Amino acid sequence: MEYLINGWFGALALLADMDDATLSAIHATLLSTLYAMTAAFLLGLVPGFILGYCDFPGRRALRLISDTLLAFPTVLIGLIVYAFITARGPLGEYELLFTLPGMAIGQAVLALPIVISWTAQAVENLDPRCRETLLTLGANARQTALLTLWECRFAIGMVCVTAFGRVITEVGVAMMLGGNIRYSTRTMTTAIALETSKGDFAQGIALGLVLLFMAFLVNLALAFLRRRGARA
Amino acid sequence: MSAVYEARDLEQRYQQRTALPKISLVIESGEAVALTGPNGCGKSTLLRLLAFIERPFSGELLYYGDRSNPRREVSLLLQDPYLLRASVFYNVTLGLRLRHRREQLESIYERCMRAVGFADPRSFAARGPNALSGGERQRVALAARLALNPRVLLLDEPTSNVDAASARAIAEAVTQCRRDGVTVVCSTHDPALIDALQAREIRLGRRWDEI
Repeated sequence: MEYLINGWFGALALLADMDDATLSAIHATLLSTLYAMTAAFLLGLVPGFILGYCDFPGRRALRLISDTLLAFPTVLIGLIVYAFITARGPLGEYELLFTLPGMAIGQAVLALPIVISWTAQAVENLDPRCRETLLTLGANARQTALLTLWECRFAIGMVCVTAFGRVITEVGVAMMLGGNIRYSTRTMTTAIALETSKGDFAQGIALGLVLLFMAFLVNLALAFLRRRGARA
Repeated sequence: MSAVYEARDLEQRYQQRTALPKISLVIESGEAVALTGPNGCGKSTLLRLLAFIERPFSGELLYYGDRSNPRREVSLLLQDPYLLRASVFYNVTLGLRLRHRREQLESIYERCMRAVGFADPRSFAARGPNALSGGERQRVALAARLALNPRVLLLDEPTSNVDAASARAIAEAVTQCRRDGVTVVCSTHDPALIDALQAREIRLGRRWDEI
């Protein structure tokens, strides 16, 4: 029990000091998550909107595939992206393996089905009177689509925050594609795994507390968006 | 008077269900018409067709003798209108923005809000739709239609879900539109509204007939 208590005190001391290794892990985590989220949002928003807004042959099949990918094991994502970016892979020449961008690719693949499926869900859940109202006000097809997307803004904001929370707490992809290199690709989650395996609970708990604080911020943002969405 | 609408054997079906049995009618310019009949007889469907937001299953609908789509000249107020998650000001002026008209939005907003019975429109400008009562929402939605200066105003049971004061304000606003020469087509069960509009009644049912 004593080592746990000492770990907590050590963690608080480390957080107070904010040593280079901790700061570097926080920096790497935030940067790779930012890259991944930007890519997932840019690639997923339009397909998600189309899946939720338009009716076309094969839509249900695409929704099913997208929903199935929500449960894509992160280790499998890591394996597939690894195969692509390893030196012998089709993207090997770009030397992405064990770099932050390489790690971000894997995390973007992880976030993409969340962005697509839940954006589609958000659009589907929108009151059907919205589109009808826009038509009665004389909106053309483009205006109707854009205003429908705008009307889903709080729900899509929640999708992004949820995907962010999933990516930032992820460990499998970060470990496989980042390689857990100190001061480079070591993220908070991979650092926690490493420090715990080494028996350095203080460092692990310190990073865990930072991660917990970030999860708290994410939930705070979610609660804010929910409240804004309900009030508007 | 010239005919705004001329419908010949107009019929609407959704898959196998007939929503509007075949109907032929003529509505003259500047006229007020009240569509009456039991629930499910096709009043709302007919209004959607007249608003050109749906295509008929069969038949022909002419607008001023033409088959072109005049959706921007015609405005429909739905029975349970939807307001966007934005301010009342934005909702009232939305139709104008969709037409890329940005001038005098404030004065148009004030005029239309006063027309539907809001004594102090500015105090409502920044409110969201969830801060409004059912009657206020209905009147804001009507103000948004009035802001467009439509040639034809279509109303789907505008007074059915509102309190007496809101119903009076709506009736007054619609009556004023009629006086201004706007063609008004209104589905309603409210005899007071029919009287206020001095509307010709078209009863829809299994067999439709004009009274």
